[in-house]
Amino acid sequence: MIIQRIFHVNDMECSACAMRLEGLEDILPGVTQIKASYHRQRLEIIFDDTVLSEEQFLQAVESLGYHAQAQ
Amino acid sequence: MDNLWIVFMTGLTAGGLSCLAVQGGLLTSSLAYQVESDLTARGIKPENHANPRFALPIILFLSAKLAAYSLLGALLGALGSVFQLTPLMRAILLFVIGIFMVGNALRMLNIHPVFRYFSFEPPAFLSRYIRRKARNTTGWFTPLFLGTLTIFIPCGITQSMMALAISSGDPVAGAAILFSFTLGASPVFFAVAYFAAQLGSRLERWFIRIVAIVLLVLGILSIDSGLNLAGSPISLSRLARLIAPQSPAAAFNPQPLFPQDPFQPALPATEDPAPIPTQGANSLVLAALNNGYSPEELIAPANQAIMLSVITKNTLSCSRAFVIPSLQVEEFLPQTGTVVIQIPPQESGTVIQFTCSMGMYTGEIRFQ
Repeated sequence: MIIQRIFHVNDMECSACAMRLEGLEDILPGVTQIKASYHRQRLEIIFDDTVLSEEQFLQAVESLGYHAQAQ
Repeated sequence: MDNLWIVFMTGLTAGGLSCLAVQGGLLTSSLAYQVESDLTARGIKPENHANPRFALPIILFLSAKLAAYSLLGALLGALGSVFQLTPLMRAILLFVIGIFMVGNALRMLNIHPVFRYFSFEPPAFLSRYIRRKARNTTGWFTPLFLGTLTIFIPCGITQSMMALAISSGDPVAGAAILFSFTLGASPVFFAVAYFAAQLGSRLERWFIRIVAIVLLVLGILSIDSGLNLAGSPISLSRLARLIAPQSPAAAFNPQPLFPQDPFQPALPATEDPAPIPTQGANSLVLAALNNGYSPEELIAPANQAIMLSVITKNTLSCSRAFVIPSLQVEEFLPQTGTVVIQIPPQESGTVIQFTCSMGMYTGEIRFQ
């Protein structure tokens, strides 16, 4: 099922961080879209939870050095 | 353009670090990723940084960036020739750029979340396009393409140089400004991209703080220049004059304004057939030097028309672009020579500010 989740990432330090996080959509399977905003420290993902779990996504975010908290 | 050397040095110092902060995150990492995968595919260990082939894509990237910015400078210069900026417009531009730079510096120092809005976020479609191009293309195309795309994410200092290119009002001068700046910024950018793998996050943060402090200082200077150019009675330069006043050169003082030779003695004298004007009851003499105006404070009699003779002698700096904002006077002085400016009678107590066209060098005339 395609679902949407919104996270707060308070350790984005510039617009490049947002672009880096958005880059996960090219790597992770089952992701339809990732939108990251440095201004709002927000990360929005639309993904297929039968392919990718939320935990896997959060691990991928952490592997880039960021910490996401569900909103 | 006489100040290209200063523009180059700005690029070499603040510009390189500022570019690193804005463009480094995405482009350098994409480039490094590309370089490493290329080298790995060819069986060369990526950690072998001494291999000259590692440097080639970065050089290509910086060359494309240099060419793209030069072209952009020419376009901005051409734009500036169509819409010639008045001193007040330049003042507003300098002021706004200064606010932008200070805001960015405070953002980088994490002073308050509101300062995040000073950071330009490229539209999602553009960042997605750049990212996918970086991943999906190989060979020489990627660094050339990414280098060209940096014009869409200029850093704060680059944006001020873009404004300078507009204010030059000439395509060649505009191209030369952005060429010099980008060339100056290249060594730091190259070094960081080259050693990206070793650059730990701690060192990166340290760099960011240096960038923030440099930006803060340059931003304050830009705001100050904007205030000077607008003829504002409040500015840092004027505050400095109040704190450490020079002995003013009174119009009634029989001593010449130039103690010996206020100009740089090392420079050989060129043609200077006209005698240096002397100061009289209703005439003032001001020297436009390479490092400012001398004296910075002139005293003139009130309620009399004044002839202000501004003298240059092998003057190469922006002090040649002489502006009196309140009288809408803007004169581009010759390298060597004298330009006489008529100042209408002023009431006692009036203070008229003068400045160079960049708001860097200032002074004032007090009417008594």
